[in-house]
Amino acid sequence: MLDAAVLAAPPCDTTAPVVPLARQAWLLAKNDLRQELRDLELVLTAAFFTLVVLVMFALAFAALPAADQTLAVPGMLWLAVAFVGALTLTRIFDREREADTLRAVLTWPVDRVAIYFSKLGVTLLVITGCGALLMPALGLLFPAAEVFWQRPLDAAALLVLGCLAYAAVGALFAAGLATASGKNVLLSVILYPLTSPALIFALVSTRALLEGHAQFHTYLGQLAALDAVLVAVASWLFEPVLLGSNARPAERRPSARAKRTP
Amino acid sequence: MAIVPLQLRELSKRFGRLAVLRGIDLEVGAGEAVALLGANGCGKTTLLSIAAGLLPSSGGSCTWGGPTQDELDVAARRSLAFVAHSTQIYGRLSARENLQLLASLRGDSVDAAVLDPLLERVGLGDAITRLAGTFSRGMQQRLAIARALVGRPELLLLDEPFTALDFAGRATLARILLEERARGAAILLSSHDLEAVAEVADRAVLLADGRILAAATRRGDEAVDAFAVRIRRLGVDVAPSQPRTGATHGGADA
Amino acid sequence: MIKHRLPLLFFAVAALATPYSVQRIFLHTGIEKKMGTVQKIFYFHVPLAWIMMALGITCGVAAAIQLRKAATGRSRMAESLSIAAGELVLVTGLGVLITGPIWGHATWGRAWTWDARQVSTGLLWLVFAAFVLLRRYGAAGSERLAAALAVFGAVDVPVIYYAVKIWKTTHPTTDVVGSLPAQMWNSLWPALGALVCLTVGVLLVRIRQEQDAAELDDAWIALDDRGRALTLGGAP
Repeated sequence: MLDAAVLAAPPCDTTAPVVPLARQAWLLAKNDLRQELRDLELVLTAAFFTLVVLVMFALAFAALPAADQTLAVPGMLWLAVAFVGALTLTRIFDREREADTLRAVLTWPVDRVAIYFSKLGVTLLVITGCGALLMPALGLLFPAAEVFWQRPLDAAALLVLGCLAYAAVGALFAAGLATASGKNVLLSVILYPLTSPALIFALVSTRALLEGHAQFHTYLGQLAALDAVLVAVASWLFEPVLLGSNARPAERRPSARAKRTP
Repeated sequence: MAIVPLQLRELSKRFGRLAVLRGIDLEVGAGEAVALLGANGCGKTTLLSIAAGLLPSSGGSCTWGGPTQDELDVAARRSLAFVAHSTQIYGRLSARENLQLLASLRGDSVDAAVLDPLLERVGLGDAITRLAGTFSRGMQQRLAIARALVGRPELLLLDEPFTALDFAGRATLARILLEERARGAAILLSSHDLEAVAEVADRAVLLADGRILAAATRRGDEAVDAFAVRIRRLGVDVAPSQPRTGATHGGADA
Repeated sequence: MIKHRLPLLFFAVAALATPYSVQRIFLHTGIEKKMGTVQKIFYFHVPLAWIMMALGITCGVAAAIQLRKAATGRSRMAESLSIAAGELVLVTGLGVLITGPIWGHATWGRAWTWDARQVSTGLLWLVFAAFVLLRRYGAAGSERLAAALAVFGAVDVPVIYYAVKIWKTTHPTTDVVGSLPAQMWNSLWPALGALVCLTVGVLLVRIRQEQDAAELDDAWIALDDRGRALTLGGAP
């Protein structure tokens, strides 16, 4: 009655090399993207939201004098990114909550940090995508923001670095809330105070770009350094936040390791 | 090789003032299937979650194929499979893609020729390319079981795996568990289905009050029915409402 | 025993230092020429702000230890410390945010000018309010999330301060508070000492409370265990 092929099969090979971290992260991100391509739910809602916000900005601020625009445009850009970011993070992790799939991945032979990097990548992709809609559109709508068209590389670097700072913090806390049971409303309570430094810094850099400030590239470098710090801290905390750490047994049995070697 | 795939020593878990597990000693050896029985809320899921590395313990140790649980690294998780109470299936992926994701993350072959037989084994041969979101609960359960078999893990943890399965599915799962056991896998499952437990398990363990109150081990060639009767008595004999003398924790054989 | 007496010691020092510093501030220190008597609030505002920042950093570091260490001993101690420090950030922060605008209103003519220190203090207070909220109302497991929040809160403070400073420097504002004479700085130290002693005392009491609560839980479970063992093993 038992399947002979199953019985004959060798057991799993625990000594096989683990898939490298970067590849694990890529596989997980690809999995998210593949699911997204099936219905485009996330991309379409985020893009639609961006367009609505743009229309409202255009209506509300079209008559603003050019001198004030340099102050207003950065605010519009990063406020929109903050809202789209919260929307995206909520959706990405709601998808995991539907069937508790994140917990399944935690039991697999996957480095937990790879999960963080995959979610960070997907979030970053979606919000920079929305930013890539926002920036040129703001450039068309407001004369003061034409520099987005004139210096596209600087604008792109600023957008990516600013969004990365936001996503770095957001992915950690959205994941933490997705595995703790219930209460996703807390995300905005946590997210906005914590991402504010990233957003304020992005705001500062954007204004420097609009004003043609000589120090723009310094600010950009500092923003990159902030990104590095936030990503490092978030990835360092990711596993303990999701899983907690074990109580250590009162005395360590030395045999625990020895048993492993035959 | 005297590897004990799963070894729990004085394992305890508490949430504030609520002690869910109060010192569990349990071993599951290679080629052995152990069933956890007990009322709702007696700690079966908590125990399985700790064993799967999803929940930190509050005390004691959970030794696992060698390393203690807090040393449970990525490579060690290759030999573990956990079927949770919720199916944890990606609804926007097809059945095959669900398996391919795990296989690719393990670094195993994602070839359909390797993975499709697993789906056929759980009776999903006709639904390989269908999106899992369109599956019924029972089919999703079958898919979750198929995914647990990817890579032939040495330790299978299953939280009420018979839930939502139809009669044929139940028989299929029982056969699969027997095959995996015969292959040398260690199996720890929780269930309320005493007949199924009698069919697949070598040992049934009754959890109550966060302790192992009693255990029954299959005797030699004991018939399934006879073992089922003994398992059923296990619950009656040490029902929490009727404390009995002599039932110390760790559990003598009934 | 010493654990229980230690806060008393701090309270005693604070009880002695407070009248001394108040006397010194109001009777033996000159009145600042430009700002007048209202400048006296400086002796309370500045120490409170320093203490708040120190508590914020303490909370962040303790939370990081809590997360990275195994769930016994040191982690538990760190958790108690982070809870106590996090809550005291709210209390001292409230003091800073009340005294600050009073001073600002009197000297700058405006209570709130969106200056770098104000913004970073305000945001720090919000982060720790979120920390306390999450600890109180979060579901199981959110104590770890709260700890991560505290870590990021501590990391964020200098960044906010720096960012707002850049934002403002392109918009130069006049520096109202000039440098203070040495006599005024000298009066600051006793005030700081008194407030630090008070804070440390409260901090120790609060840590003790958290640890007592944990020990009480342990005792509760131990008693429960013993009760069950008796009914199972000793009943007729």
